[in-house]
Amino acid sequence: MDFLKGRYALAVAIGATFGALSRFYVIEGAKAIFGKDFGFYGTFFINVSGCLLIAYILTLATENFRIISPELRLMTTTGFCGAYTTFSTYGLESKAFLDKGDITTLSIYFVGSAIAGMISIQIGVLLARATAQKSES
Amino acid sequence: MSDITNAFAIATGAVLGALSRFYLTEWSKAKFGTKFPYATFGINLTGCLAVGFFFTISTGITGYPTELDLLIRTGFLGSYTTFSTYGFDTLTLWRSKQTGATAFYWAGSAVLGLVAVILGVAIAKLFVK
Repeated sequence: MDFLKGRYALAVAIGATFGALSRFYVIEGAKAIFGKDFGFYGTFFINVSGCLLIAYILTLATENFRIISPELRLMTTTGFCGAYTTFSTYGLESKAFLDKGDITTLSIYFVGSAIAGMISIQIGVLLARATAQKSES
Repeated sequence: MSDITNAFAIATGAVLGALSRFYLTEWSKAKFGTKFPYATFGINLTGCLAVGFFFTISTGITGYPTELDLLIRTGFLGSYTTFSTYGFDTLTLWRSKQTGATAFYWAGSAVLGLVAVILGVAIAKLFVK
């Protein structure tokens, strides 16, 4: 039950605070720029950029390009990326398009987020491999 | 009702949501192994169910406090559910050559997530207009 260590919880909590607040401000920003109904532009950006970030960090960590402590990994991935990205908002927004009968936007957003997310994951992996040097360990 | 109280509401929910996700994930890995991302799958689906429910409740009750909505939906559910872990899980499944499981997880999370939102709304409509 190693994961019950307080320091791990603290790391997650700190990352999550930054992640959730970032998410909120990005979505509010999108609404301010594009209009009240366009918060989903923000959600899309968040989920896609969050996928890139998590893939980058986890690839650095697991393919041994960088030594990343468990606390740092938890803070940035489980904490920040996990709280920054959201599946519930994505689902709720998709349902709204369904309700409005806007199948075009639904298809683009619903399917597009999933596809763009996976493309970002792959880019994150490639970026980590391309930009880092193997650490001596 | 100010920016500071809004931020506190979000942060409080976020810490609870992320820690819930963290502990559920660790417990699930210990109990069920790491071959399939059961925790993220369950978390995203239950989170979608809850968001449909609480969104409908919040819009169906006049005077529903903004801070409560920010605490529960933006803070907790937004941080409890995750898109980035979902994406990386899909990659991990793909790398493990479990093609069927990969397709089920990737498409199923999204489709069942949407179904869960619809279900959450329907349940809430039993209580509010």
